[in-house]
Amino acid sequence: MIALLIAVGVLCVINTGLVILLLVAETLIVDTGECRITINGEKALTVAGGRSLLATLKDESLFIPSACGGRGSCGLCKVTVLEGAGPLLPTETPWLTPEEQKANVRLACQVKVRRDLQIRIPDELFQVKQYRARVTDLADLTHDIKQVTLELEEPPEIRFKAGQYIQLEVPPYALTDEPVYRAYSVASDPADTRRIELEIRYVPNGICTTYVHKHLKVGDTVTLNGPYGEFGLTDSSAEMLCIAGGSGMAPIKSILHEMARTRSPRRCRYFFGARARRDLFLLEPMRGLEKTLPDFRFIPALSNPDPADAWEGESGRVTEVVARHVQDASQAEAFLCGSPLMIDACIQVLRDKGMPDSKIFYDKFS
Amino acid sequence: MKQSRQDDIIQDRMRPGVITRDGLLGSDRRSLRDILEADEAEVQRLGLSHAAIAARLRDLRDAGAQGLGEPVTVFDHFEVRVDSVRGLLPCPFPHEGLCRKEFVDVRNLRSDERLTYTEMNIHMIEAHGFYEGTGSPFRQEPATLARVLEISRPVAD
Repeated sequence: MIALLIAVGVLCVINTGLVILLLVAETLIVDTGECRITINGEKALTVAGGRSLLATLKDESLFIPSACGGRGSCGLCKVTVLEGAGPLLPTETPWLTPEEQKANVRLACQVKVRRDLQIRIPDELFQVKQYRARVTDLADLTHDIKQVTLELEEPPEIRFKAGQYIQLEVPPYALTDEPVYRAYSVASDPADTRRIELEIRYVPNGICTTYVHKHLKVGDTVTLNGPYGEFGLTDSSAEMLCIAGGSGMAPIKSILHEMARTRSPRRCRYFFGARARRDLFLLEPMRGLEKTLPDFRFIPALSNPDPADAWEGESGRVTEVVARHVQDASQAEAFLCGSPLMIDACIQVLRDKGMPDSKIFYDKFS
Repeated sequence: MKQSRQDDIIQDRMRPGVITRDGLLGSDRRSLRDILEADEAEVQRLGLSHAAIAARLRDLRDAGAQGLGEPVTVFDHFEVRVDSVRGLLPCPFPHEGLCRKEFVDVRNLRSDERLTYTEMNIHMIEAHGFYEGTGSPFRQEPATLARVLEISRPVAD
């Protein structure tokens, strides 16, 4: 018995020694050295090899959207790698369609920089920067939506288009051992370049929303990067039908601020869905915009108002209210923001009203 | 059945931090094969099938989705709220396709019992007979599903 225990012990020691040897060898012998990353055939970076493409680009102040911090669990950090990435990994395939795989799309967090790479990324990502900001205000808009106002410190200004989003970094705390990022649409006017407003709905046990709702305090410093996204105002004079629910208010509000500032004459109807009166917010600013904008109407709709609400406005699901108000949508454009369920249902209603898919723009929470 | 090398690979993908922060195994120390076989036996004991359970979960989800994120009462006495957050999740089992991060909160208004499941749960039960490990945040006990969601044995012809 003792001999057996000694043998097992010896084997364990040998195993541990081999593992240490391998780790040391990887560090000292496997030297990937300097690598060159050529981006869009123009910009070239000389970087130290060995880390993921996502982390390496981040060190070079090039931010690829990623919600999971590089664990390969969000599938957002897609880039086209034309050369040098090696074979597709099993950790990438679930996130990539066959067309994407054929087009050499890869997950930047899974591709290791081991040799020279040729990559292609959207030009707008060159505009993305990382910002340090201070929380200057936290306001409860409803029982589960908080408005977060951030004043930018370094760099002190951000240029974004109404409808775009940023990624807020959540530092390690009780619910996460490592930084994670979550995307939030900017609610404020793009002309206000020194501060941004976010509207964040609490998701039970959500890593970021729990952090914002239960831990973040006025005066705290946060890190964010952005701007991202193509959702926003179009260069058109067509009537606008905006539809949102919950924190989907944010990008629409930013768009409306922009329209008010530029005195846009476009006809705009904004349908906002909520369950009961306690879920409605920013009614006063919206009524104010009705006075500022030449042809704007805000139409809140409650799907299940409490009797105590004494609600005299529109009742029913927001899709039903849109269907009642809009007879012919064939010449209009729609701007939608909310849960995938709400957006899918709205798209169906708008199609039924004659709106072509090419005129339906949305920021789906997925 | 003995745990295969493929089962090991799948089980590794279920660990915390790989696909989800908390993983899909909870505090369960059993092998994936043992978990699958135990739940298979339990489902048989209940006189049900994975397909029947998944179908009930999907029916409630589809009916609740009509609320567009708000709670709605469906099938007479079930209050259902379907909500989703940004992002998609791959299944730990090897195949293509992604699940939305969608949560279905169901309250049986008669018994006042409630439970929450995800789109991933529906898929994993239907396609793989996997209900997650004991202690996992979204572990679904077959007997609890059957009781709260009133999934009854099929009537014999």
